[in-house]
Order: sequence, then structure tokens, then C-alpha cells
Amino acid sequence: MTSTLKGITLKGSAELVAEFFSFGINSILYQRGIYPPETFTRVTHYDMSLQLTTDSKLKNYLTNVVTQLKEWLFECTVQKLVLVITCLETNEVLERWQFDIECDKSAKESSAPREKSIKTIQDEIRSVIRQITATVTFLPLLETPCSFDLLIYTDKDLAVPEKWEISGPQIIDQSEEVRLRSFTTSIHKVNSMVAYKRTDSV
Amino acid sequence: NMDLEDDTTVLTTLKSFNSFISHTEPPQRLSEQSAGIGNLQSQYKRSMELLEAADRVRSKNRYLQLDQEKKQMELSHKRARFELEKTASDSARDLEHEVDRNQDLLGRIKKLEERETGAAKNLSEQVEANRALRKNLESLNKKLEEQDTKVNTANQTISSLKDEIRELKQKIQNQSSTISTQSLENQELQEQLDLQRRKYQEVSQLCQSFQAAQSSCSEHIIKIKELERRLALQEQDVAIVESVKSEVAKVPDLEKELKRLREDNAFLRESRENCSLLKEEVEGLRRKLERMAKTKEELVNMELEKEVKKPEDLSREVIQIQQREIALKEQNYTLNSRVRSVERSQSELRAELSQQRSKTLEEQKKREAQDSLVRRLQKRVLLLTKERDGMRAILESYDTELAPTEYSPQLSKRLREAEDVLQKTQNHNAEMEVRVLTHMHKLCVHIFFRQKIEDLEAERQRLEEQNNILEMRLERHNLQGDYDPVKTRVLHLKMNPTTVAKQQRQQEVEALREEVTRLRELVRSLQDGGALVHSQDDSSMHTPNLGLSLPPSKEVLDLRKQMESSELRNQRLKEVFQRKIQEFRTVCYVLTGYQMDITTENQYRLTSVYAEHMDDSLLFKKGSNGSMQLMETEFSKTLGEMVALHLHHQKSIPAFLSAVTLDLFSRQTTI
Repeated sequence: MTSTLKGITLKGSAELVAEFFSFGINSILYQRGIYPPETFTRVTHYDMSLQLTTDSKLKNYLTNVVTQLKEWLFECTVQKLVLVITCLETNEVLERWQFDIECDKSAKESSAPREKSIKTIQDEIRSVIRQITATVTFLPLLETPCSFDLLIYTDKDLAVPEKWEISGPQIIDQSEEVRLRSFTTSIHKVNSMVAYKRTDSV
Repeated sequence: NMDLEDDTTVLTTLKSFNSFISHTEPPQRLSEQSAGIGNLQSQYKRSMELLEAADRVRSKNRYLQLDQEKKQMELSHKRARFELEKTASDSARDLEHEVDRNQDLLGRIKKLEERETGAAKNLSEQVEANRALRKNLESLNKKLEEQDTKVNTANQTISSLKDEIRELKQKIQNQSSTISTQSLENQELQEQLDLQRRKYQEVSQLCQSFQAAQSSCSEHIIKIKELERRLALQEQDVAIVESVKSEVAKVPDLEKELKRLREDNAFLRESRENCSLLKEEVEGLRRKLERMAKTKEELVNMELEKEVKKPEDLSREVIQIQQREIALKEQNYTLNSRVRSVERSQSELRAELSQQRSKTLEEQKKREAQDSLVRRLQKRVLLLTKERDGMRAILESYDTELAPTEYSPQLSKRLREAEDVLQKTQNHNAEMEVRVLTHMHKLCVHIFFRQKIEDLEAERQRLEEQNNILEMRLERHNLQGDYDPVKTRVLHLKMNPTTVAKQQRQQEVEALREEVTRLRELVRSLQDGGALVHSQDDSSMHTPNLGLSLPPSKEVLDLRKQMESSELRNQRLKEVFQRKIQEFRTVCYVLTGYQMDITTENQYRLTSVYAEHMDDSLLFKKGSNGSMQLMETEFSKTLGEMVALHLHHQKSIPAFLSAVTLDLFSRQTTI
């Protein structure tokens, strides 16, 4: 996305972050093999090649989540987005990709756009996605069939929309945590981290 | 007692006197006649004696009386004295009482005097107050009068001002009339002003148009200049282009030269490298050569030396070398010992140095203590000198003022001065004490605060560490995904891939379970169905359970019937065969006299009908070529002759068997 707009507004920032999540989640699903690789197709974005799913049900689900997330980013009520990977046989949580979102609420009051070039933001996002791809090398293999879920941590006094329900945090029992890079649009700051279940070496 | 004694002595003396007298009378009667003269003398003596005795008695009596009187007088004296003393003490007491009363009265008098003085003071004060009040009153009265005069003057001024006001009003009226005339004039002037303004606007418009025309003119001029400039530039460009063209024509030649030069350059560089390499090689070879020459020389020398040297020389050399070695060792030893001694001395010096340092520190401390003592003593000396000076001054004042004037007021004055000095010193003392106390207090407070500060620092460090630990814990929890339920909520879509996958899995599992149960039933029914071949009803009953897996057709029923019939046939055949075999065996046994059993494959056991023991049996084995051979048994061992004869010699088993039968029969019948 090459925008010729100068400066970042709250709406623009929400869109950038939602877009990042859309591509990032697809990347993680492809890298971790949650869905078969043949169900993904390659696209170019952020000056790099990324994988997007072609599965219609999955696409539908992701669109629903990202649209709601965009709304909440605009209202600055969202605190975290978590991608939880669960083993279907044992119902244990094996991996947790957590993205903390810090919103500068002063951008809600003043509508003056912030000075930050889109190119810088895209460079930052690119390095985050690259790092996510690189972390896969040291994560333990997912040998059993797994499924994923997206959890969103929001402010408590928010109204729960239709089709959404309250869930537990689905924290991993005995986990190792790794902090990854972060990027900021000068209105929203996204910190990434991954937690995985410790494998007892045999 | 004295009186009694006196009385008793008086009485006794009287008694004695009386007795004496009585004594003297009888002897007078007896000796009256015998000694008339002598009696007179004796009587005279006796009377003289008696007189003397009486005098004596009288004197004694008188003495006693006097004595008694004296004693009485003494007694009365004592009593009088006693009473006097009593009266004296009483009077003394009275005197004391009077004195006390006097003092009380004096004190009362003093108090009364003081009260009087106080009252007098009060009175004087009151009088002064009274005077002051009177003065106040007078001053207030004066003020009142002044204010009255002021009021009067004010009234006068008011009236004057009112007159002025009237005059001013008249003036105002005059001026208003002048104003109206002037306003009319103003209006006229304004109309003229408007006319002038309109004219001015027209003129300004004309001016503007004129200026616009001028500006357009200037713009045109500028444009013309620019165009001229551009033209000049273009002419320059044309010239440049022509020169560039000529240069471009030269370019291919230049390129060729450049290539050639580059090749030359590369070649030269290579040759230079080769040159440098060759130089290095040359250097290396030269060095080698030198070394070789050296070694050659050395070798030559060595050979020469070897030739020259004889064993003696060698031994001499060896000895020399050894001596050298010894010398060197000695040097080494001396050096080592020197080093050790030096080290020892160094350590000793260090110890001394430390000792000296400690001593100096002690000396310094002592000196400091002494200094402080000195200072304290100096201060004391100062104080004492001051005291002495004061006393001296007092004494001097005493001395100077003693002679001419009175004494007591001086004394009282000096007393007062001394008291003042004492008071001052006491105050000074008190102040110093207070200062010292405050200093001590401050020190204590200081120390206390320092202690507090240290404690607080330690507390702060501890809290900082705790804070760090808690922050780390918090960070860890945040990384793991922990959240504060008061502020945060976790949401997800109801239809999310995990729930969908779980549901699918559940459904699969259910389906699998159902299939498993169904297959089990099928297997069971197959097993049961195989046994029940006879009844069609049963098979028809089973068909609903088997479902689609078995065709409930006629073929199955026919096949089942066939199977059943063939099985029956089998059964019958088995029975028949069994019977026949049994018959045949019994016939064999009866006719041949041997019961033949097959023990194992190709082994036949024969038991004779006339066997003496149950276990007596012959064992025959069928060989690979078909021939029968007798195996050894207990029984066959007893038939050695017959074996030898019939089997080995005659080679006939039937003969052998018959022989055995006959032998056994003969044995039986004889018994």
C-alpha cells in the first residue's frame, strides 16, 4: 500500500495495524503448518513475499475478526491480540503468539495527523514479520494435528458484540517466552512476543 | 535528814548529858562520907567538867543550831535560787516570745510599710493616671473646639462654593449656545469634506490605473530582457554543442587508446608482481646461500677442529666447560642467596614501616588530645584571670574609697557589684550550659538522623530490589498472557476454528464409535450365523442385524443346505469307517493272536493274546524303503533265540511271530 497521504491519522493507523495483523496471522498459520501449504498463495506486500490463505471459511473468519479489531483500534479499547495454537488430541495449548497494543489516546481528541512516514512503518512491520519467520526455527515441532483461535483483550466496560463471547486467557502450562520486535505508527504501538510449551527433552 | 540528824545529835547529846548527870549523882551519894574533901575537889572538878561539858554541849548545840540554820538557809537559798532560775527561764521564755512577737510585729510592720509604699505608689500612679486623663480630656476638648471651628469654616466654604456653582451654571449656558452655533458650522465643513473625498477617490482611481499601466509596461520590458537572455544562452549552447560534437568524434580513438593503455597497465602490473615475486625469491635464495656458506664454513671449521683436537684437548675443553659450569652455578647460588636476603630485609623493613606508621598515628592522637586539653586549660585560665581582675578591681575600689567616706554604703555598693558580677557569671554559665546542651542535642539529633537515613537507605535498596523482582514477575506474567480481570476482558468469536475443529473431531469420534459398534455386531453375527446352518428362520432373523453386508438370497440357503448335507454324510462315513476298522482289528487280533497298535508314525506295537504280562510287546518300525524292522523292547530281549533264528537266519517276520505265539501258548497251557 503506497499512500500519498502525509501524516498518520487515527483511522489510518487503525487500518495499518489491522492490515499487519491480517498478514501476520496468515504468515504464522503458514509457517506453523496449521493449514496445509497448498491452501496458501503467495502475494507481495510490505516489499516482501507473504503467504495468504485461499480457504474460504478461514478467510471469512479472519475478515470478521480483523474488521471488529479495526473498529476497536479506532476506539482505542483493545489491549492485546493473541493467536492460540491448541493440540486437538490433548486439548492443550502449545503456542501463544501475543501482540500487545498501546494506543495513544490523545490522538482521539486532536485530529491533527502525526508526522511519520508510511515507508518507515512498513519497514518496521517487515522486520517484525521477518523475525516471526525466523523464530519458527527454534520453536518445537507441532507433530499432532492442531487448531488455532484468536483472542482479543479489550477494556472491561466494552459492550460484547453479537457473535463474540467471553473466553479464558488460555495460558500455557510451563512455558518459555521470547520477546520479539515491535513497531509503532506513532498512534498505535504493537509489541510482539511468543510463548511455547516447554518440551521435556528425552 | 540533816534536821533529823541534827535533832538526833541534839537528843543524843542531851541524853548523854542527862546520863552523865545521873551518873555523877549516885557516885556522889556513895562517896560522900569517905571522901569529903576529895569529894569536894572531885565535885568541883566534876562540876567544872560538867560546866565545860555543858559549855561544850551548849556550843555543840549552838553549832548544831547554826548548822541547822545554815542548812535551812542553804535550802532556802537553793529554793530561792531554783525559783529564781525558774523565774529566769520563764522570763527568758517570755523574752523569746516577746522577741518573736517583736519580730512578727516588725515583719508585719514591714509588710504594712510595703503595702503602704505600694499603696502610695498606686496612689501616685492613680494620681498620674488622673492627671494624664485630665490632660487627655483637655486635649479632646481642644480637638472638639478645633473641629467646631473647622465645621464653621466648612460651612463658610460651602456657601462660597454654592455661589461659584451658580456662576458656573451661567457659564455653561453661554457655552452651550456657542456649541450649537459651532455644530452648525461643523456640518457645513463636513459636507465640504465629503465633496473633497469623492474627488480624492476619483484621482486615486486614475492613479491606480496609471500604475497598472506602468507595471504592465515594466513586465513587458522584463519579458523582453528575459527573451534576449535566453537567446544569448541558446547561442552559447549551440557553440557548446558544436564543440561537444567535435569532441565526441574523437571519442572512439580515445576509447581505443584507453583499451591499449589498460592492457599495458595490466601487463605492467603483472610484470611488476612477477618482479616482486622474483625479487623475493632472489632474496630468499641469497639468504639460503649465505646460510649455506655459513654452515659450510662451520662444517669446515668443525672438521678442522675435529682434526686438530685430540682426546686430551677434548678433555681439557670438557674440563673447561665444567669449570665454567661450576662458576656459573656458584654465581647462581650467590645471586639466589642475595635475592633471599634482600627479600628478608625488605619484609623486615615493611614490618618496621608499619610499626612506625602505627606509632605515628598514636602519637598524633595523643598530641590532638593534649591540644584539646591545652585549649580547655587556656579557656579556664582566661576565665580565672577575668575573675581575678574583677576581684582586683573590687579590692582596688575598696582601697581607694575606704579612707574619707562612709563604710557601709561602700560595702553595700560593692556587695551589689559583686552580686552583679556573680549574676552575670551565672547567666554566662547558664548560657554556656544551654549552648552546650543545644549542641549536644543537635549532635544527637544529627546522629539520630544519620542513623535514620542509613536505615531508610537500606530500606530503599531492599524495596528497590523487591520492586525489580516484582517488575520482572509482572513482565513474565505479561509475556505469558496474564491480565487484570478488573480492567480487561478476553473475547473471541463463538465460531472460531478451534471450536469448529473440536466439534468436527467430536463428530468424527462419534461416527467412528458407531461404526465400531456396528462392525462388532456384524462380526458377532457372522460367527453366530456360521453355526446355525439349519434353520432358515434363524438366518432370516439374523439378516436385519447384518444389514447390507450379507445378501439374504437363495444361494446362501442352498449352500447352507449343501453344507449341512455334506457334513451329515461326513459324519456317517466317519462312523462307518470307525466301525469297520474296529471290526477288522478285532478279527486280526482273534485270528493272528496279536493286537496291533500304531504308536507313532511308522511304528507298530504288537501285543500277543497269550502275553504273560500286559507290557510285553513287540515294536516294529517301518523303514524308508518299506521294510519292517524289529525294535528292541524288554520283551524282545527275552526272545533272543527266536529273533536270531527267524529274523536273522530265516528272514521271516510271520514265522517269528508265529513262533512267539506258539511259545507263549505253550507256556500258558502248561500252567
